[in-house]
Amino acid sequence: MARLNDDAQWIILMGFLVSFSLFFLALVINQSTVVGQTTAESVIEFPKNDIRDVRGVIISSAKDTNFNVVRSDITVISLSRKNAVVNYKVTQPQPPADMHIHAIIHYNNGVTEFDETWTSL
Amino acid sequence: MVNTNGQLYTIEGFAAALIMIITAYLVVNATSIYTAGDTHISDMQLEALGTDALMAMGTNESQLSMSPLRTIIEGTPVGNNNATFGANFSYLINNRGNSDPDHIQYIANYSYRNIADNSVNSAFINASRNLSGGEHAVRATKWVVVNKQLPGDSVVQNRTVLVEVLMWRD
Repeated sequence: MARLNDDAQWIILMGFLVSFSLFFLALVINQSTVVGQTTAESVIEFPKNDIRDVRGVIISSAKDTNFNVVRSDITVISLSRKNAVVNYKVTQPQPPADMHIHAIIHYNNGVTEFDETWTSL
Repeated sequence: MVNTNGQLYTIEGFAAALIMIITAYLVVNATSIYTAGDTHISDMQLEALGTDALMAMGTNESQLSMSPLRTIIEGTPVGNNNATFGANFSYLINNRGNSDPDHIQYIANYSYRNIADNSVNSAFINASRNLSGGEHAVRATKWVVVNKQLPGDSVVQNRTVLVEVLMWRD
């Protein structure tokens, strides 16, 4: 029986290996440009401006005469338009023992939770 | 003489394994969705710009004066167009400091609570263009305290409304 000549098989297999290594390099380069969730998306998701804004309006309306109407506006609209549960309580000054307005603010949009106890100057 | 048969089988097995791994990799990956790393950067910047513009318009110059945003909402009947908002807001978001302004479009509404049934209604303020549905818009919002009849048949009192602006580039 003649000896089996496997020279061509070597060449094909080596070609395979070289092409696979190139394929892997291309995959690595391809993956470097994509990510699951981007940094910018995380920044958008985090409600920094929402919290600052709702906190600002709560504090600026703390002395309103129709406090309960304004508070209902804030909580109802927050829930329906901003998907955030906002709840707060304001305690008016009780002189002479306490000259400050106190507010307890809760904010939760399902991802981020914020709680604050605020005291006026 | 060195026999290379074993080596040949090893490399052949290696190649077969790689083919199977790559096939599995491609199949598993076909179902997942990736977004490019810089997709949301422009959204983030547009949202920050809109929030800043609304913040500027919602700030009063002194304790005696009302903020431009409050003046606009109090001075316009519910749902009516207000061109002053358009002029102010458009200048804030589109001005680039030279004679060539940016092309950001917007549509602005505010939401208020109906005292009678706690429902939330939306009132139009101003728009630079109508929404066609194909825009990739971001939303910026600002709380404003106004002294106004909301809805139109209720009493005048302090109310809180949420100004909402959709912004997009075209």
